[in-house]
Amino acid sequence: MSTYKARLQEFKTILEAEVIDFKKLRKLVFSGCPYEAGLRSKCWKLMLYYLPKNTSEWEKETKKQRTTYLQFIDEMIIKPGTEASDGAIEDVTLDDHPLNPNPESKWRAYFKDNEMLLQIDKDCRRLCPDLNFFQKATEHPCSRLCGENSFETLRKRVEQCVLQSESVSQNRLGITNMATSRRKPSNEFMLLPDGQEAHWEVCERILFVYAKLNPGLGYIQGMNEILGPIYYTFATDPDADCRENAEADSFFCFTNLMSEIRDNFIKTLDDSQCGIGSLMNQLMTTLKEKDVTLWYKLQEQDLKPQFYAFRWLTLLLSQEFPLPDVLRIWDSLFADDKRFNFLIKVGCAMLLLLKDDLLTGDFPSNMKLVQNFPYSSFDVQVVIKKAVDIR
Amino acid sequence: MAKKTYDLLFKLLLIGDSGVGKTCLLFRFSDDAFNTTFISTIGIDFKIKTVELGGKKIKLQIWDTAGQERFHTITTSYYRGAMGIMLVYDITNGKTFDNISKWLRNIDEHANEDVEKMILGNKCDMEDKRQVSKDRGDAIAREHGIPFLETSAKANINVEKAFMDLAQAILNKTPSGRDSQPNNVDVHRNQDVGNRRCC
Repeated sequence: MSTYKARLQEFKTILEAEVIDFKKLRKLVFSGCPYEAGLRSKCWKLMLYYLPKNTSEWEKETKKQRTTYLQFIDEMIIKPGTEASDGAIEDVTLDDHPLNPNPESKWRAYFKDNEMLLQIDKDCRRLCPDLNFFQKATEHPCSRLCGENSFETLRKRVEQCVLQSESVSQNRLGITNMATSRRKPSNEFMLLPDGQEAHWEVCERILFVYAKLNPGLGYIQGMNEILGPIYYTFATDPDADCRENAEADSFFCFTNLMSEIRDNFIKTLDDSQCGIGSLMNQLMTTLKEKDVTLWYKLQEQDLKPQFYAFRWLTLLLSQEFPLPDVLRIWDSLFADDKRFNFLIKVGCAMLLLLKDDLLTGDFPSNMKLVQNFPYSSFDVQVVIKKAVDIR
Repeated sequence: MAKKTYDLLFKLLLIGDSGVGKTCLLFRFSDDAFNTTFISTIGIDFKIKTVELGGKKIKLQIWDTAGQERFHTITTSYYRGAMGIMLVYDITNGKTFDNISKWLRNIDEHANEDVEKMILGNKCDMEDKRQVSKDRGDAIAREHGIPFLETSAKANINVEKAFMDLAQAILNKTPSGRDSQPNNVDVHRNQDVGNRRCC
């Protein structure tokens, strides 16, 4: 117990210093952040370069960033939402109309955004389904978007899209009817009443803003799984200020993290030096170095890394372990100064831990094993220890 | 595993837009259950089910793919080895139906010429939200000469039938499928398993 206390003290000493000693902090974080006193949130914000190294600048910096985020909300959600409900965008003129093929067309952009929003909506509703956290209401809904609004919120926009697309139907005789049944937005997941929003809705907004700000990349499935653990950490922090600003802070941490891993999400980079393909090759090279027998077995069975490591590496293992374990693994991943070298090692460690089974199993049972890593048989510390030993 | 526990191995692939219910269909077929809370499939997923058809034990190796465009380079590489492909759309979402022709083109480009295909209109339990009539599904299927079924993973409608029909179609083409030689274990379709030789 006293070693634990001493460890907490070590964290505190580093975090209370005038200038953060990144080297020391990395070392500490690498072996796991304690939950106490919001240490994990603070450390992740530092590891992801959201907080500057001078502690005296934290307040000013976060204030500035949080204001910036509100401006993004204004620009990406409130302004287009106001135009949509003011009818500005519905105004069909010679200059612009719904069938305008011009890429500058507001209509075109609006429809394209709706498509993206529906995809984000679909994925965020199914964020960490084993956990009820994301379905619960946040204590800190975005006050400018909740309740009675004169503009179209994302929630309304999703409803609207679904409604519009089914308002006209054709019967068997080819007669077009306006559908009479008004559809509830979703019967599978209840929406919270106006004025409240679920945590998944907050994540949806973050991803939408991110996708709007990064039009070249947009939204790719799986980004939700990268945002989820970050947002969860900040929104469940013991510190009230951290919880209150979880949305804006997660947005920036997610953005910073994505700037390091975005190549994995880009299809055209799959076979390049920096894309997911090269990461999978690194994993196989590491495995070959560490255990040529196992490597050979996988080759022989043609059990390609694309079948499992694609997901492992793209999502930083967030779908392979239960959330508490993911958080622990991410401590080490974020603290890695050669990001994301350690990720490859954890992946390799997972394969090595499965060695006995993989060597005796046939293709289907091995596929099952690597697609559903038996985390209940291996404590997360064992996995990390194994990965450290690869160093 | 000294002895094979099956006579034939069929590789099937599920494709279609994201959110049409591919994973749910597969889960219904393999585990006979329904789960609304599936996380989105990233890359590719995999399930095995052994069924009996025409007195033969057939192992179905079913690959479930991610629907979003980003994953196509990863997923199209599986088309080649597939003996059967299920193309799924969502009857409550017209866009997923419009994309059928795009998916068919994908099959033409990447799959074996003799691959067995099947079109499924999923979520047929949600009649009040239907956007694609059964007739339209029938028409496109007829146009391409592909069998078609409306299914519901939720209400367990036609799911078993869909997979069994597809397996039957592959079996009909398999030389050993027609003449039932009792000890004939390793014919034709099993070759690629042969070189894997599990233990």
